[in-house]
Amino acid sequence: MFATRPTNSLWKDIAFTSLVSFGSGLLAALILGAVVLLLTSTVARADLTRSEEGTGPVGIDQVSRGSLLLKLASGGVSVDAPALTTDVEMEISGLLARVSVRQRFSNPGKQWVEGIYVFPLPQDAAVDRMRLRIGERIIVGEIQERGQAEKTYARARKEGRKASLLSQERPNIFTTAVANIGPGEEVQVELEYQQALRYDQGRFAVRFPLVVAPRFIPGTPLSGEEEVEFAATGWSHNTARVKDASRITPPVADPSGPQINPVTILVNLDAGFPLARLESRYHPVDILADENGRHQIRLQQAPVSMDRDFELSWVPDTGLAPQAALFTERWEAADYALLMLMPPTSGADSAPAPAREVIFVIDTSGSMHGASIKQARASLQLALSRLRPDDRFNVIQFNNQTHALFGQAVPAVSINIQRAVRYVGDLEAEGGTEMLPALERALSGEQPVGFLRQIVFLTDGSVGNETELFALIQQRLGSSRLFTIGIGSAPNSYFMTRAARFGRGSFTYIGTTAEVKQKMEGLFRKLESPVFTDIDIVWPDAVEVEMYPRKVPDLYLGEAVILTARLPQGVDQLEVRGERNGQPWQQRVDLRGGGASAGVHVYWARRKIAELMDQRATGETEEKVRAAVLEVALGHQLVSRYTSLVAVDRTPIRPEDEALDTKPVATNLPHGWSADRVFGVLPRTATSSHLQLLLGLMALSSGAWLRRLAKRIRRYG
Amino acid sequence: MVRPGWRGYLAVGLVLAGVWWLGQGAYIQVKAWLAQYLLQRAWEETLDGGGGISPWPWADTWPIARIQVDRLGVDQIVLEGASGRSLAFGPGHISGTAKPGAGGNSAISGHRDTHFRFLRELQDGDEIRLILPAGTELRYRVDQRGVYEQEDVWLLDRGERSLTLITCYPFDALVPGGSERFVVSARPVIL
Repeated sequence: MFATRPTNSLWKDIAFTSLVSFGSGLLAALILGAVVLLLTSTVARADLTRSEEGTGPVGIDQVSRGSLLLKLASGGVSVDAPALTTDVEMEISGLLARVSVRQRFSNPGKQWVEGIYVFPLPQDAAVDRMRLRIGERIIVGEIQERGQAEKTYARARKEGRKASLLSQERPNIFTTAVANIGPGEEVQVELEYQQALRYDQGRFAVRFPLVVAPRFIPGTPLSGEEEVEFAATGWSHNTARVKDASRITPPVADPSGPQINPVTILVNLDAGFPLARLESRYHPVDILADENGRHQIRLQQAPVSMDRDFELSWVPDTGLAPQAALFTERWEAADYALLMLMPPTSGADSAPAPAREVIFVIDTSGSMHGASIKQARASLQLALSRLRPDDRFNVIQFNNQTHALFGQAVPAVSINIQRAVRYVGDLEAEGGTEMLPALERALSGEQPVGFLRQIVFLTDGSVGNETELFALIQQRLGSSRLFTIGIGSAPNSYFMTRAARFGRGSFTYIGTTAEVKQKMEGLFRKLESPVFTDIDIVWPDAVEVEMYPRKVPDLYLGEAVILTARLPQGVDQLEVRGERNGQPWQQRVDLRGGGASAGVHVYWARRKIAELMDQRATGETEEKVRAAVLEVALGHQLVSRYTSLVAVDRTPIRPEDEALDTKPVATNLPHGWSADRVFGVLPRTATSSHLQLLLGLMALSSGAWLRRLAKRIRRYG
Repeated sequence: MVRPGWRGYLAVGLVLAGVWWLGQGAYIQVKAWLAQYLLQRAWEETLDGGGGISPWPWADTWPIARIQVDRLGVDQIVLEGASGRSLAFGPGHISGTAKPGAGGNSAISGHRDTHFRFLRELQDGDEIRLILPAGTELRYRVDQRGVYEQEDVWLLDRGERSLTLITCYPFDALVPGGSERFVVSARPVIL
């Protein structure tokens, strides 16, 4: 009966096709709509339960609310928040910089507030002093064990006294909290730290991490009024919020706008030698020189870019640079010394570096799957292309098995290189991580005479038997040097930094494929230049010396030996021995003529704490490390992860019936951190499972629909 | 027999694609669920005294702890490493952060749509238990939850002994690869 219908079905076809498109579109829209509805309703429900709970001081919704308010603040809308100004003053003399940072909190509002400010300091800053200045009065901060200090502060805060607390969050991130700033009042927190200058390629430098115009952010109070255990809830949220804030704070792009929270920097530089150059690379400065060769450097008040660290660097006049510098201090019946020694630069420099034997070890275990193996392949191929014909090399890959390309190292002639490049290009990531045999293989083998032996090790370091591996490296290293290259978004950087230290090489982190070239270039420069090896510090017999670093690393182009030691009184000399391109080299250092310099013991203590903190990663229990750090930090009056500085005023000033608002201060942290980003990013943890399920359902249903339609058309047609 | 026509082909194509997608999507879920059962054996062996027992010979990871949240009926085996490979089977301990039970912060991450979906249900004060290979039981109490950016790696390296659970955010986003992370912090319960 259908067949009797008119055969000309063009119109019907068109109509049906339109209908089909419309229908499947509608269906897809309906499904999507339903999904969206479902999702939003669950989200809404989740939000509701969250705000009803009211237990967490800062919920997810509140985080976004805080940022919204911040936007208002930065948009110039008047907010009832206190302001902060920072003055930095550096005294540089010899190898140490003494820096005082004055943070002035002023409260223009009508309420009592607590200001919390998270800010960066240099990684190796040894913070040892804090003063709370209220008008003419000065309260000197006291070093206390962290928990104790937090309690002291919380009590004062509750009782309405003025108090300040300075804690270290991470080696380069600190927090100042100031309680009970009265309406219209200004309170100053002054902190001081000590820092060693950096020396590289003939240039001295000092850095101060700057923040993008720090400002107070209003936001919901962090904890309830009576919450004494604020330390348990407060800090991370502050950072969370501040970090969030930094993301949405527009950069200080409008120079015509008023600078809300200015930072001033003043540097008094006593370099100790005539300068060929003195510059601040990122910020305009005014420089004044006096007749004694001292310089005064001041940050110009013109708008400056606040998104980078302030860096001041200077270069000694040619030929006038010191070959060695020594600073000593006598403190509590011991001598502390800070020594810097430049290896001689004449002669050997022009000689080419000796031929090298490079063993590349590449991790092809399953965890390297994806982007990681691609980066590793690219890095390795680049490295292969840099070899010279008189070098020798080999490539070893490992997962649960170890496989070497050549039986032993071969000359880097083009036929071998081509073979290696192909081999590397075909590497796939699969299987387990048996690192020990691979390392063993790389470290074994005879040291060919006249070659510098370097092991370049590419891995994400996901291993569990670190201690075993370290032991192997220490026993078998010989004259080889181990350079680790961390690959992937979350490499085990602790393992690799330490492996490189035991292997007396260096650690390079490559986070993205785009970074491969630049990072590898840096490494090549090191690998290819002449090097001072086997540096040994020889103290007179039977002298008990505690020296940091414990073992002097190899020195690459333009580096100097910098070490600090605590020694009994009366030690008058030491000898530095080493090898340069295979030639023995030694230098005697007289410890008597050193310049007296305050703060050497602080620097020594800071280095010791850093070394102790490192031990946590090698399996030392936190209790032990904590006890050891506490002893040093309390003894030398240093802020550390376990100690804080706290200052409390004697008299309560906030009337009991007045409430206290907590105002975290925003700051932009990224630049100070980028160097520490050895982790890359937090792991990615979403699968496409839901998307695929949804797509599958949609495709299935529209397919079925279409099929039925096709049948109908066939029947009609 | 009539030729199917292009609509027919399209229909078959769509059905095939649909089945494939469904299969893929389901595979991820099933693998996540099934792997936890397979891991049980490796965990029992680990408890019996061997460390670093791989659940299957070609696995690149091994169980290092068991995580439990009684209120939500959560009981999962945590693997070493947070690479994409190991996360498919279970939550992964981020290498480089402290081992559970050692000093410092231990961070564990898991897929937001499989193992760590329960993070959205956690509330402040909830108790999280970690059982270590030695049989030791560690107890933590949730004290913070928040949304962070993936660049916030300092979360891994903070302060004193704590447990940090990380998953992607938002939980119900369809497309993977977003830059936000949901982070739960818990502090040890001192007995």
